Amino acid sequence: MSEQRIILEMGTGNDLYGMDYTKAACRAVHDALHHSSIVMFQSLGIDHHQMRVEVTIAVQEPDAVDTDAVARELPRGRAEVTVVQGGLNVHDEASGQTHVIASAAIAAMLDIDHDAWQLCQS
Amino acid sequence: MAKTRMVTQFGMGTSIRSQNYTEAAARGIRDALWHNSLNAADAFGFPKEAMLIEVEIGVQHPDKVDSDALLGIFPYGQPSVRVVKGGLDVAKPDGSGVSVIANVAIIVSFDMAAAGAASTSSTPGQSAGGQS
Repeated sequence: MSEQRIILEMGTGNDLYGMDYTKAACRAVHDALHHSSIVMFQSLGIDHHQMRVEVTIAVQEPDAVDTDAVARELPRGRAEVTVVQGGLNVHDEASGQTHVIASAAIAAMLDIDHDAWQLCQS
Repeated sequence: MAKTRMVTQFGMGTSIRSQNYTEAAARGIRDALWHNSLNAADAFGFPKEAMLIEVEIGVQHPDKVDSDALLGIFPYGQPSVRVVKGGLDVAKPDGSGVSVIANVAIIVSFDMAAAGAASTSSTPGQSAGGQS
């Protein structure tokens, strides 16, 4: 039995006028989550609580992200949120506006015993 | 034999000006595939070639999609393509045609079973458990 990454989901989100880094991060998480569905939990009868979810958020101001609020956006598994310097801010000198862009990487980790499953002979 | 669904990926692709339904579908496939890095084969110790990849495409004119051209997008696995009426065509403001939206779902499965049951199992592994 060893922990395996079953999928890495990637997404991006922005907050255009509020400079709300948490909102941008949450939207990035939604974008990452909703491009896939890990149906193997139903197919194989695995409880999703066994899944550890590593969430990495990248924005230009990491300290401005509420990690608890981001963690609450993860509906399944046990989420751990880390924020790093990254993403992108797009600033307009003329208007003084800054658009905030966040990246999200979500790794789904699961203990899988290689000996417990095998391919069928065709 | 037990074809077991592991992950479904979703994407959307467009052809804004050229009404190319195959290109819209191809972009939808890339949108679905490149939002995710799927490690399911490695995680279960299966070869990537064992991945069964069902591609479902929705566009307003299914007959205008060249399915064979889409198969080349997949770097590995055993892809098959099904096209249904769906997606969305949006009329251009000058009346010169439509912008095409293709909806894409990619269903990844393995023909698999819990160890020891592989040769006898005939139903999907709902009760297989196997996490001993």
